[in-house]
Amino acid sequence: MSNTVKTWLFFLLLLGVTVQQATAQTRYTISGSVRSKKSGESLIGASITVQGKGAGVTSNDYGFYSISLPAGKYTLLASAVGLEPQTIELQLDKNITLNILLEEEIKELEDVTVTSSAKGRSLSSPQMGAERLTINETKTIPVLFGERDVLKTIQLLPGIKSAGDGNSGFFVRGGAADQNLILLDEAPVYNASHLLGFFSTFNSDAIKDVMIYKGGMPAQYGGRLSSVLDIKMNDGNNQDYAVSGGIGAISAKLNVEGPIQKDKSSFLVSGRRTYVDAFLKLSSDSTINNNSLYFYDLNAKLNYQLGKKDRLFLSGYFGRDQLGVGETFKLNWGNATGTLRWNHIFSDKLFSNTSLIYSNYDYKITIKSAANDFKVFSQIKDWNLKQEFQWFLSSRNNIRFGVNAIHHTMRPGEISSSDSSSFNDKALQKRYSLENAVYAANNWKLSDNFNLSYGARLSAFSILGQGDFYTLDTDGKVIDTTSYKKGEVVKTYVNIEPRVSASYTLNNSSSVKASYVRNVQNLHLISNSTTSTPTDKWIASTNIIKPEISDQVSVGYYKNLAGNKYELTVEAYYKTMQNQIDYRDGADVFSNDVIESQLLFGKGRAYGIEWLMKKKVGRLSGWVSYTLSKTERKINGINNNEWYNARQDRTHDIAIVATYQLNKKWTLSANWIFYTGDAVSFPSGKYRLDDRMVYYYTERNGYRMPNYHRLDLGAVLQLKKKKKFSSELAFSLYNAYGRENAYIIEFRNSKDNPNKTEAVRTALFKFIPSVSYNFKF
Amino acid sequence: MRIIQNISFLLILLVTAASCRKVIDIDLNSADPKYVIEGIITNQQDSCKVLISKTVNFSDDNNVPSVSGATVTVTDEAGTVTTLQETNPGTYRTASFQAQQGKTYKLSVKIEGEEFTASSTMPLLVSYDSLYVTETQLFDGKEKVATVQFKDPPGKGNAYRYVQYLNGKREKTIFVENDELTDGRTINTELLIFDDDDEEDENGEKKNKIRSGDTLRVDMMCIEYPMFTYWFSLLNASTGENQNATPANPVTNIRGGALGYFSAHTYQTKTIKVP
Repeated sequence: MSNTVKTWLFFLLLLGVTVQQATAQTRYTISGSVRSKKSGESLIGASITVQGKGAGVTSNDYGFYSISLPAGKYTLLASAVGLEPQTIELQLDKNITLNILLEEEIKELEDVTVTSSAKGRSLSSPQMGAERLTINETKTIPVLFGERDVLKTIQLLPGIKSAGDGNSGFFVRGGAADQNLILLDEAPVYNASHLLGFFSTFNSDAIKDVMIYKGGMPAQYGGRLSSVLDIKMNDGNNQDYAVSGGIGAISAKLNVEGPIQKDKSSFLVSGRRTYVDAFLKLSSDSTINNNSLYFYDLNAKLNYQLGKKDRLFLSGYFGRDQLGVGETFKLNWGNATGTLRWNHIFSDKLFSNTSLIYSNYDYKITIKSAANDFKVFSQIKDWNLKQEFQWFLSSRNNIRFGVNAIHHTMRPGEISSSDSSSFNDKALQKRYSLENAVYAANNWKLSDNFNLSYGARLSAFSILGQGDFYTLDTDGKVIDTTSYKKGEVVKTYVNIEPRVSASYTLNNSSSVKASYVRNVQNLHLISNSTTSTPTDKWIASTNIIKPEISDQVSVGYYKNLAGNKYELTVEAYYKTMQNQIDYRDGADVFSNDVIESQLLFGKGRAYGIEWLMKKKVGRLSGWVSYTLSKTERKINGINNNEWYNARQDRTHDIAIVATYQLNKKWTLSANWIFYTGDAVSFPSGKYRLDDRMVYYYTERNGYRMPNYHRLDLGAVLQLKKKKKFSSELAFSLYNAYGRENAYIIEFRNSKDNPNKTEAVRTALFKFIPSVSYNFKF
Repeated sequence: MRIIQNISFLLILLVTAASCRKVIDIDLNSADPKYVIEGIITNQQDSCKVLISKTVNFSDDNNVPSVSGATVTVTDEAGTVTTLQETNPGTYRTASFQAQQGKTYKLSVKIEGEEFTASSTMPLLVSYDSLYVTETQLFDGKEKVATVQFKDPPGKGNAYRYVQYLNGKREKTIFVENDELTDGRTINTELLIFDDDDEEDENGEKKNKIRSGDTLRVDMMCIEYPMFTYWFSLLNASTGENQNATPANPVTNIRGGALGYFSAHTYQTKTIKVP
């Protein structure tokens, strides 16, 4: 473990350097929290700048901020998206606690211009490859079935690609769908989709903040290669009771929140359920009304302010899907997560958060036919402990460090059946692992122009017994089996993941940034289907399946134009990926205990340029994004060991999103999407075998699906606004010009001429209108 | 779990009632023709048969060119070489051959200076006990399903393939299973059919729907494990009709670069009148 020792030395050195730097001058500290005055919600990423000094900080994930300055007279400006900025004058001659409450933005009635504070992208922060969305920003964007969905909104950003028509799955910078770390109040969500991917598990009513990192991931995040999607739930209004809800084309939702004790504690409960099945039941056709198809989810949160220095949060998510064909086939799946967090302010400069997190995903299949029955159960369950410190050394310097330990239990598949069934009871081996990490990062403002963030994450993934582990030959045959006892360490993979980024401000409206990150992933999703199915299986690294490793370098140019009305972002990246996984031809990944025998390993590379032009103020707001990219894989045993396009390789990807505030009542919106068709394998010939036609393939992903494009239109009508009650009607039309985008293309004998073969395209959504009614009081 | 993929996909179509299917023109590359060898040898008299043809382009007719003039031999464990005669263009047979359970056979095909070889071991026969019809709730309501019953011998590694004929018409669905989850049990396998709509007649009725009074025949073959892999991969990745993300050619046991397979298997058949 000399590697570990070296890393610790590195961390100590790092701390030493910065501490020395910080103690050079006597300073006083202003610290406290930033909150919304109306709801008491803490504000994430609110900025506190010192007028005329260029110094500034942003509030952390819990609304806490701390800034240290030499004694003197200062004017602070506190601001956050959608809220009225506030200036505070103060005389600093001792450490002070300053809690800031920001008011709702006042909209001038005669002039309906959206007065979103003209605050450009932070040019000086070294963070790159990141986008923040507030739920307000997503409200007017037209969506499928009128169901607002953050996972679909982020797909409109450059570098983030949709997994398919109407799908909430996404690919980031050439990565696979399982390479996104999706967190809900810090808890990993293993299957973020409902109804086979058409809806995400995130009920937008309960969500406060969405942050996605495509590159330059801060050191506190780890475990996935391509992105981090950090979603935070509302804390609950601690000032007043509030009820909001909506009735849409396919679902209804209700959100209730309020103070338990004003200013001190609050609760939030938010639920949603679809009622497609109610329509199925209405059908007189027995082939339809026997089927079941629904999902529901529930978000709940409690938070307590325990004195001045401590705050406690308890949040949970629970969601299930049910899908069934009569009594014959039933599939039930869902996630449950729970997070207990304790914020503690050790001093005005040292903020601590401790989290205990539980995460569970499981599915159950029940099959009952005339002659057979069986049940399948599969589960992944985590217990996760995190300790993090944020140390605000000075206005130029802060340090974040922490530890994280996750215990994973995986039950890949357990089959049970009755005596008369053809099936044996069988349980694939349970797998246990421990994912540990320590990290530290320093944000350092070296000069007025130059900012640096550097740090590292040391991750150690231990595969634990009990269980059998295998040695395979090159054909995937088992040549040796080793049994390990309970708790025995089979193997530990130790990796150091450097995270470095820097920004250089060119002038007051533009900057350049560069970053390098390494990410390591030890959990892998096994799926061989074009659609996201609930039975896709998570497996951990084993003695044979090595950790996936990615290295990404990116550079970017940022410019705020026309007095911060427009912001332009251009980023380019190059990423290499090691130990990528694919399947052997004919792989059976469902019933095989030696899953490694069904897999092949190789490498990947992805590169591209992303442009984003955003207009945030004025009647017309929105953005245009364009991505030019390439992503390839090279896996021994596939495509004659040559590089081939990954399925999600799409050369061009364009999204135009526009919202227009027509008058006080109407807001209109539209978005248009275009992307190059997926890389797919189509046959290059056919032959006769077993008295039928079979297709002949010559290369992996050598063809393209047809290009995808569609226009969505939306309109929101603000109904009569009373003092306490407000409501709106949201209309949307998905795929407004009825483009038949190919969902899949199949090949078969021609219906008209059995002596010919033909290609058949299935298109899913065309002119899908929807209306939903939302209210708030 | 192919069944889950199938059902999930059908449900997607159900949910998205607006979905539509259309025949489209698609520009597919042409590939150099490849040989396709389909070699069968069973425990029945006169059953040794090797078919040789070539691949064609997707846009061509389904009448594939047969390959004549090949030298086809089968060698048994004792080293006895039997040469097959071309009885029809592309069809090679021998009458003097009946293969034995548990024995390994080698196939050699020589065509225009190229040689393709394969070997296959005939598994022990597992007795085909019964063929009957069950009714199960599927998408179109209760449907009659052909069901095969037999007792799987203890020990994993057995694999089976079935071919269904309804009123003499062969069902194109490939039915294949192994005993990974069913080892040693009395197995009742229901031959579920997930159709493509090219199997519908003008009235939208399924051509292969089983009705009372129909004549139903199901052949059962005990196949060796590499042949299970062949059929399983063919079914999952080469039939052009499912949602597998990575279509590919099946895992063949033929060496030398031809498509197809060589299978030594047992053959049993049963025919019933559907009650």
